[in-house]
Amino acid sequence: MEYKIELVNLSVYYGDFHALRNINMQIGAKTITALIGPSGCGKSTMLRTINRINELIDGTRIEGKILIDQKDIYHPKTDILQLRKKAGMVFQRPNCFPLSVYDNITYGPRVHGIKKKAELDEIVEKSLRATWLWDELKEKMKKSALSLSLEYQQRLCIARVLALGSEIILLDEPCSALDPITTLRIEELLVELKKDYTIIIVTHNMQQAARVSNYSGYMLMGELVEVNETSKIFTSPQDKRTEDYITGRFG
Amino acid sequence: MLKPIFWEQVMKKILFVGTAITVFILFFIIFYILKNGLAVVDMEFLLSSPKDFGRAGGIFPCIVGTIVLSLVAIIIATPLGVGTSIYLSEYTRESKLTSIIRFGTDCLAGIPSIIFGLFGFVLFVVYLGLGWSILSGGLTIAFMILPTIIRTSEEAIKSVPDYYREVSLSLGGTKWQTIVKVVLPSALPGIVTGIILGVARSIEETAIVIFTAGSVLRIPTSLFDSCRTMSVHFYILAREGISMENAYGTATILIITILLINAFAYWLMHRLMAKYS
Ligand SMILES: Nc1ncnc2c1ncn2[C@@H]1O[C@H](COP(=O)(O)OP(=O)(O)O)[C@@H](O)[C@H]1O
Ligand SMILES: [Mg+2]
Repeated sequence: MEYKIELVNLSVYYGDFHALRNINMQIGAKTITALIGPSGCGKSTMLRTINRINELIDGTRIEGKILIDQKDIYHPKTDILQLRKKAGMVFQRPNCFPLSVYDNITYGPRVHGIKKKAELDEIVEKSLRATWLWDELKEKMKKSALSLSLEYQQRLCIARVLALGSEIILLDEPCSALDPITTLRIEELLVELKKDYTIIIVTHNMQQAARVSNYSGYMLMGELVEVNETSKIFTSPQDKRTEDYITGRFG
Repeated sequence: MLKPIFWEQVMKKILFVGTAITVFILFFIIFYILKNGLAVVDMEFLLSSPKDFGRAGGIFPCIVGTIVLSLVAIIIATPLGVGTSIYLSEYTRESKLTSIIRFGTDCLAGIPSIIFGLFGFVLFVVYLGLGWSILSGGLTIAFMILPTIIRTSEEAIKSVPDYYREVSLSLGGTKWQTIVKVVLPSALPGIVTGIILGVARSIEETAIVIFTAGSVLRIPTSLFDSCRTMSVHFYILAREGISMENAYGTATILIITILLINAFAYWLMHRLMAKYS
């Protein structure tokens, strides 16, 4: 089987601090993988390393490889801008630009060179429909994105990534600023998006991992302790540490 | 021993008196100038040329001179200043070099304008042979207001939240796209404030203009012509005792111009802030 994303002996350092330790993981196309684990274990670092946004921090260094579609994304010849387009990120806090709804969504396509109004309009409609925002927002294209509710803003951030034409969506605790009901709606949305996209979601919420994901990985202090089908992780974890964490969290 | 509550009362009164004095002086100056000046101000005064060295007639050439000179200064200083601030805040790490540059701009900001005037005279008027001209004056004034524009723009750019940059880059934007499409629009209110402060300072400037742009009382027709600004006109009318009435009239227009610019800056800033945040 060919994997969409493969992490091969991946280590990440912040200066001398060893934040990800020799991670090996394969992720199939059109699946949702949840990363769980206590705060500070390296979940965000992992996502940010896949988008290559992490290297903007001074002193970061990686060892090992990340393959996307069998290509090493840290190869010197990699086009970083195209990579970031392919693997878009959604952050913890909704972080819309202080621009209109329309300009937020078209930001990505525009920086990648799409200029035609008709083409942009089509992208906007498509990504807003995919995130169930179209009916609500089609009359409010010129409204400032920051005037929307947090849920809508976060969905808009997802739409902004879809508009890029990403194939992979990396979500870093996307629901932590939202209430339980809106959280459920975002989860539903993710399950729907799985039909077309490969999704990795970081969450500290066990129930969320159990509800949305096909696969789950448990991380602890920079190590990927265990990764397996979600049902197996939650019912019969192989590693004692995973079991302790899950029973602790559920119990 | 006096009770703390007593001191509380005394301090409050002292601060109130201080504030009252400040406001009173401000209004007194404006009132005094307007009272003496408004009498001579009319359309004729604004739109006609001075006669007999300014004893009679209007100040039209000085209005033109002021506008053109400030415009030239701001057109030179804005790209240089904003460019420098972008370079300092987006393209360099904090280092010895950047703190030296910052220290340098701060020192530059503290240099009396008459010294800039002398420098501009030596460099532009004499050495580069530009003579007393709008170009010499504009260049020199640009150097004077550069530190203001650099510092205000830098502060504005620094206050743009880092996550805007991060999102833009994470979507595959280049650094330059990020600066142009995200950072600068968010920093715009601050940058514009700096530029307008610069405009106000170039309108007020007197010493530099006398040294570098001269004081010829004619409507300039090229960048190499000398010109006379309202500030210089006021100075000459008052200093040489030519006409106190017309001096006050000129001062009145000058003060009204500055008030209008400040009001415009205020309005523009609010508009921009409403748009981008
Ligand atoms: N910019 C940074 N510089 C130094 N250390 C960092 C930086 N970012 C994160 N770390 C460290 O790396 C570890 C993993 O962080 P992170 O990936 O944010 O964890 P998580 O998302 O699982 O909470 C933490 O111990 C954190 O302190
Ligand atoms: Mg995190």
